Amino acid sequence: MTAIIATNQTILVVGGGISGMTAALEAAECGKQVILVERNSSLGGRTALLYRYFPKMCHPTCGLEINLRRLKANRNLRILTQTEVTSVTGQRGDYTVSLKISPRYVNSNCTACGECAKVVKKEIPNPYEYNLSRTRAAYLPHAMAYPQHYVLDPSIIGTPDADNAKAACKYNAIDLDMQVETIELKVGAVVWATGWKPYEAAKIQPYGYDRFDNVITSLEFERYADPHGPTGGKLLRPSDGKEAKNIAFIQCAGSRDQNHLHHCSRICCMASLKQTQYVREAYGEQGKSTVYYIDIRSIDRLEDFYRKVQQDSTVNFVKSKVAQIKLDEKTGDLILHGVDTEGYHRYATQHDLVVLAVGMEPESNGIKLPADLITDSSGFIEGSADLGQIAAGAASSPLDVNRATQSATAAALRAIQVVYKTSAIEEAR
Amino acid sequence: MAEMKTAAYICSGCGLGDQLDIAQLSKIAQKEGKMALVRNHEFLCNPEGVQIIRDDIEKEAVTHICIAACSRRAKTEAFNFPEVAMSRANLREGVIWIIAQGNEHDEVRQEMANDYVRMGCAEIKKMKLPQGNPNHANNKRILVVGGGVTGLTAALAAAETGYEVVLVEKNNQLGGWAAKMWKRVPFKQPYAEPQETGLVELVAKVSSHSRITVYLNSTVAETSGAPGRFNIKVAQESGSVTTEEVGAIVQASGFSSYDINKLPELGGGKSTNVVDQAGLEALACKAMDTPLKRADGKEIKSVVFIQCAGQRNEANPDHLPYCSGHCCATSVKQAMYFKNANPDVNTVVLYTDLRMPGMGEDFYRSAQDKGVIFTKGKASRVDTAGDACKVVFRDLILDEDAVIDAELVVLATGQVPNAGVDLEAWNPLVTAAESGSEEGKQKKVEMQKISVLNLNYRQGPDVPQLKHGFNDSHFICFPYETRRTGIYAAGSVRRPMDMLQATEDATGAALKAIQAVENASIGRAAHPRSGDLSFPSVRLEGCTQCKRCTVECPFGAIDEDEKRFPVFNESRCRRCGTCMGACPVRVISFENYSVDTVGNQIKAVDMPDEFSERPRILILACENDAYPALDMAGLQHHVYSAFVRAIPVRCLGSVNTIWITDALNSGFDGVMMMGCKHGENYQCHFVKGSELANYRMSKIDDTLKQLGLETERVATYEVAITDNARVAKLINEYAAKINEIGMSPMKGFN
Amino acid sequence: MTNPNQQGYTPYHNNFLKEVEQNVEDGTWVKMCMQCGVCAGSCPLGNAWEHTPQKIFMMIRAGKREEVLKSDSMWMCTSCYNCIARCPRKLPITHIMHGLAHYAHRLGLAPKGQPTREIAKLFWKNLVKTGRANELKFSLAMYFKDGFKQGIKNALGMQKVGIGLIKAKRLNPMEIFGGHKCKDKSGFQKMIAKAQEIENSKKTHIA
Repeated sequence: MTAIIATNQTILVVGGGISGMTAALEAAECGKQVILVERNSSLGGRTALLYRYFPKMCHPTCGLEINLRRLKANRNLRILTQTEVTSVTGQRGDYTVSLKISPRYVNSNCTACGECAKVVKKEIPNPYEYNLSRTRAAYLPHAMAYPQHYVLDPSIIGTPDADNAKAACKYNAIDLDMQVETIELKVGAVVWATGWKPYEAAKIQPYGYDRFDNVITSLEFERYADPHGPTGGKLLRPSDGKEAKNIAFIQCAGSRDQNHLHHCSRICCMASLKQTQYVREAYGEQGKSTVYYIDIRSIDRLEDFYRKVQQDSTVNFVKSKVAQIKLDEKTGDLILHGVDTEGYHRYATQHDLVVLAVGMEPESNGIKLPADLITDSSGFIEGSADLGQIAAGAASSPLDVNRATQSATAAALRAIQVVYKTSAIEEAR
Repeated sequence: MAEMKTAAYICSGCGLGDQLDIAQLSKIAQKEGKMALVRNHEFLCNPEGVQIIRDDIEKEAVTHICIAACSRRAKTEAFNFPEVAMSRANLREGVIWIIAQGNEHDEVRQEMANDYVRMGCAEIKKMKLPQGNPNHANNKRILVVGGGVTGLTAALAAAETGYEVVLVEKNNQLGGWAAKMWKRVPFKQPYAEPQETGLVELVAKVSSHSRITVYLNSTVAETSGAPGRFNIKVAQESGSVTTEEVGAIVQASGFSSYDINKLPELGGGKSTNVVDQAGLEALACKAMDTPLKRADGKEIKSVVFIQCAGQRNEANPDHLPYCSGHCCATSVKQAMYFKNANPDVNTVVLYTDLRMPGMGEDFYRSAQDKGVIFTKGKASRVDTAGDACKVVFRDLILDEDAVIDAELVVLATGQVPNAGVDLEAWNPLVTAAESGSEEGKQKKVEMQKISVLNLNYRQGPDVPQLKHGFNDSHFICFPYETRRTGIYAAGSVRRPMDMLQATEDATGAALKAIQAVENASIGRAAHPRSGDLSFPSVRLEGCTQCKRCTVECPFGAIDEDEKRFPVFNESRCRRCGTCMGACPVRVISFENYSVDTVGNQIKAVDMPDEFSERPRILILACENDAYPALDMAGLQHHVYSAFVRAIPVRCLGSVNTIWITDALNSGFDGVMMMGCKHGENYQCHFVKGSELANYRMSKIDDTLKQLGLETERVATYEVAITDNARVAKLINEYAAKINEIGMSPMKGFN
Repeated sequence: MTNPNQQGYTPYHNNFLKEVEQNVEDGTWVKMCMQCGVCAGSCPLGNAWEHTPQKIFMMIRAGKREEVLKSDSMWMCTSCYNCIARCPRKLPITHIMHGLAHYAHRLGLAPKGQPTREIAKLFWKNLVKTGRANELKFSLAMYFKDGFKQGIKNALGMQKVGIGLIKAKRLNPMEIFGGHKCKDKSGFQKMIAKAQEIENSKKTHIA
C-alpha cells in the first residue's frame, strides 16, 4: 500500500458510518488533512442498512451517494477500511496511533466485475444483512459499497475456493498473501465516531427473541422492508414465510430499563412510527400495526410525523410495556400479554410478527478504548479531558441521523481547533 | 488555456472486449467523434492504463478526454485527472451489464455502446475545464447574528479556530434566554442535579476575545453581497450605522417564548400565580436556592407544571403544532428548584408523554427520587380565582377527572422562532408593490420590520422558512443544507432545541461558515456539488429579462439590476443548473455543463429509420439518485431495453425544454425524465428542481401536439436511489408503450 | 371535591405518599414508578386485582388513601416476584404490596373477610401458640372459618386429600391433641413480643 503521510496537523476519524463520514468530509472540505478509518470493508455504517429514514421516508443511500461523491472529489481525505485503532498514545496535538489493517485479499485493481463470486462455492451468513441471508464468500458488501471492491471472507483462504477466485480474476486483484498490517501514524486530533450497536435482544427474557422465530429486532425489520433485503422487500415472517400483516412494535426493548440499558435510546419511537408506515406501504388498509409504548418521544417537528401516524387507521397505540410474549404453537403467532395503563385494560393480543424496538448501545462497549477517553455510565464517549479526542454522533449519545450529523459537524470543528492551536503554538515558537 | 486536443480511451476489460467490438468503437471515436487520439486498453483503470492517459496529457498536450469504460461513479480514484476536461461513456453499467447475454443481442448491444461513445465524444467537445469563479472573494470574517448561547458559542468556536468574528446583539447585553436562567439541565454525568449555566464565563470569553467584535443594542440593517464578500450595515440604537465586511453569516436569532396570554383557559395572563418557564426562572433567580416565592412574596408550597401548554396542538391554529423538545427536561429541572429548597413542596408535573431522551432518563429518575410527582394527564382549565389556583385535568392513568390545588402554576410553553420575514408571505407583497399597489408597498415596509438579516436579495430579506416558521433544512443527512449559501441558521431559530443541542448546532454552524468562506475564497461550490469549480455564466446580450432564472433559483443566487437583467452572484450559487433549465433563450451555461454539452450528446445518437423497429428513448436522469439507481440496476444485472440512451443531469431542474424538442425533432421516440421525489417530503437536493421540471413538462404537451406527437412521448418519473429493480421495470414498460404507439414520425426529417 | 376517600387530604399532594414512605416497607420506592405497567401484566393473578400495582402507586401519589388501604388488591400478591424481576425501575413491588397490606391491616382498614388476610391471621395465631405450625389444626381452622356448616362441607370435600396425606405420613391425625411445640415456648413468645414492640416503635400511627 502507498505510504500515508500524517502529521500533527492531521485529523483521524475513527468510524466510517454517517457520523464519521460527515466529520471527515466537513473537516476535509475546510481544507484539513483527514484520515478516516473503518473497521468493516465498506463505508456507510448502520445507516446503509436502513430502508428509509424518518420523518421524510427518504432513503439513506441517497445521502450516502452524495457523501461518497464529496469524498471522491476530495483530495484531503484518505480512507482505510478493514482498519481498527489498536492504540492512541500522546496528547492533544501530538498523538501516535496504531492501526491494524486486516487483509481484504482484494487489492485496488478490483473493478467489481464479479467474476470471483461466480466461482466461489462457499456461502457465509451475510454480515450486511444481519446474517438473515447468505452470500458467497467472495462478495461486494452492498450495491453502494465504497470502496467498490470485493472482499474474500477469511474462511476460504487456503481452500480451493480462494484459488479459484484468484484464477478467475483477470486483473490481478486478488492477493491471497495479504497479511495483517500494523501501521503507526502521527495525528493531531482524534474524532471517535464509532457509532452504536443494537442491544442484545435475547437478554430481554420475557420477549423470547431467542425462542420465537417471529420475534425480530427493528433492525432486522429494516432489512425485511428493503427491496434489496433478504425477502426482496416483502414483510415475510421468519417462521413460515407467511406475510406478516398484523405487527406489534414493542418500544423500550432494552432501553429505559435498569435491568438493561438505563438510558432512553431516543430513536426507537420514531423508528417504530416509521416502520408502521412500511406496513401501510406493503398492505394499505389490510395491514395493522400496534405500538406498545411508555412515552412517545417524537421531539420537535418530528411531532408532525407522530400526528400523521396517529391519524392512520391501521395503527393503534397502547400505553403499556408488554409484560410477556407467548407462542401460539398452532399458528406460530405470538400472544402479547400486558395491561394498558391508560385506565387499566388487560390484554392478550395475537400478532403475526413482533418487532422489538431495540435500544442503542455504544459500539465501543466491549472494545478497549484509550485510557484518557472519558465515557458515561452507559459507555457513551464524552471525549478526552484535554479535548484532543472528540466524540461524534451515536458514539457520544443515542442520536438519530439528523442529530448525529449535527454532532459530527461540531466534532469536526473541535478537531480543527485542536490542529489550529497546535500550529499556532508552533508558529509562535 | 492551450488549444483543445481531444482523446478517447476505450477499455476492453470487465468483459467489454468479449461482448463489444472494440475496433468498431475506436473507429467511431475517430471518425464520428473526431477524437485526435484514440487508444484501447484491456484494463484501463490499472496503473499502466492510467499512466498512458497521464502521458498523453503531459506529452501529447491532451486537454479533453473521453473515457469509454465503466460508469462515471466507478473507478474515480484511477480516473482522476483534474487538469483536463473529462467525459465518461458508460459501457459497463450502462450497456453490457443491462443487456441480456447471448449473440442474439450483439447487434443492439453494439449499437448502444456505439452511441455512448458518440455521446461521450460529442459532450467533451463542448466542455471546458472549469477555472473556478473569477469573482471569488477573500473576506474570511464571520458575522454572528444574536448573542444568546447559540450565538456566543458560534462566535467563540469560529474565533478559537482563528477566524475573526463580528457579533451583533439587539439587546444591551449578551446571554439571551440562558442569561435569565438560574441553572441549566445537566449535560454531563451525573445527570442528577441542575447545573450552573456557565454563561458568565462564556460571555466573558466572548467579550474579551481578541478576534471577536461585539455590537450591543444593534441590528443588521442591510446585508448585501455573497459568501466571501458580504457587506453588512450594523445599525446601532444610537442611530449610527457601521459597515462590516464579512465572508459568511451564522444566524442565531433564537426564539421568543410563546405568549402565555394566548392560554387564558390555563390561567395565562390572568394571574401572577400562573407563569411560564421563563417566569419561573425569574422567581428562581430571585430565590437563589432558598424556597421560591411568588410575585406577591408568598412562599410557594405547591406547584403544578403543565407540559405542552399551547404546544403539540394542531386543532387550535393559535397554538404550536410542534413539540419544543426541551420543556420536559426544563420542568423537571425547575421542579428540582422547589424540591431542593424544600422537599415538602407539593410538586406535580402534568404530562402526556414525558420526553427526556438519552441520559435525560437519569435526570427524570432523579426528580422522582426527590419526590416530584409525575402524572399523565391533560389539563383543561386553571381557575385562578382564589389564593391557590385550581388545575382541572383528566388523569389518564386513573381515568378520571381531577383537580389539584396549586399556589403556583407553571405553563411549559413552546419556542417561537425569531426567523424574520416569511418569504411565502413576502413575495405576494412584492408583486403587489411592483404593480403599484400602495397597500402592498406599505405592508411590505411593515413586514420588513421583523426581518433579521435584511438581505437585499431578489428573493426576499431573510432565509426561507421550512416549516412552522423555522429556518430549518429539509435534509436528514445534511442539517446545514441552507437555501442561502453562506448563511447558516443555528439554535432555536432553526429548530426547537435545548441548550445542549444549541451548543452543538452553533459549533456545527460555525464550521459550515468557515467552510463557506474557504470555498468562496477559491471560487468553489458548496455542498452538495462541493468542490465543483464550474459556475454559471450568462450571455446578457441574448437575455430577454424574463426573470425566470431570478425567480426560480432555489438559492436566491441571482439578483436583478436596474434594467432587470440577471446579476449572478457566483459564490451564492450551488451549481444545480436550475437557471439553465429555466432560461427560454438558453443564454445561461456552465463551462462543463451546458445546453450544448447535453444537446450535442442528443444529436450524436445514431438514429435508425422509421422502419427499423429499433426505437430510441432518451433518459435524462438526475445524477444524485436516478443515475446511481440505473448504475446499480447494472451492477445487479437487471435487464432493460437496449433502446434507451441515458444522460445524467445535475438536477432535473437543469433540463432545458430545448433538449426535449431537439430529441423529438431528431427522431427520438420517447423521453423519460427521472428525478427525485417532489412535494412536501421532497428529496431533490436542489429543493425545487424536480418539481420545476415536472411543472415545465406539464406544459410540453402543447409542443408535442404541434409536432403531431402523442403526449406519452415525454414522461416524467420520480425515481429513488434504491429503485434499482424498479428503474429497469419502468424502462421496459415505457419501451413497450412506445412499441405500442409506434415509431416517431419525426425520423428522417433531421 | 367531597370524596370521603380524600378527607383531610389534598389530591395529588404529598400527604399520603409521605405516609406510605414512612410506614410501609419499601414505601420510598412508590414515587419511582414510571407507569409502564409491566408489573400489572406480569402478575399471574392479575385478573383478580381490582387495581394493578402500578395503578396503586398512582393512586398513592394522587392521595387516594382510603381507596388504597381498603383495597383487597395488594392482598392478592403471591410473591412470585415476576414484577420485581421485570420492573424497569427495579421497584421491589412484591415487598411494597405486602407492606401496604400489612399497613392497612395495622390500621384496621384492610377488607374484612379477605381470604388471604384471614389465612394470614389464622396462620399467625396457629404459629405463635406453640412456636411451630400445626398443619392439621391450621387446615381445620381454615375449613371452619366461615362457620360450622361450611366447615363440614369443606372437610368432606377435602376428605380424599386428607386421607392420602395421612397414608403418605405427611399428616399426623394425633396433632389434633396439641402436637409439636418448640423447645423454649416462652422464650419464643418473648421474642415475638419484643419484635412487635420494635415494629410499633418504628411506625407511628397516623390516621
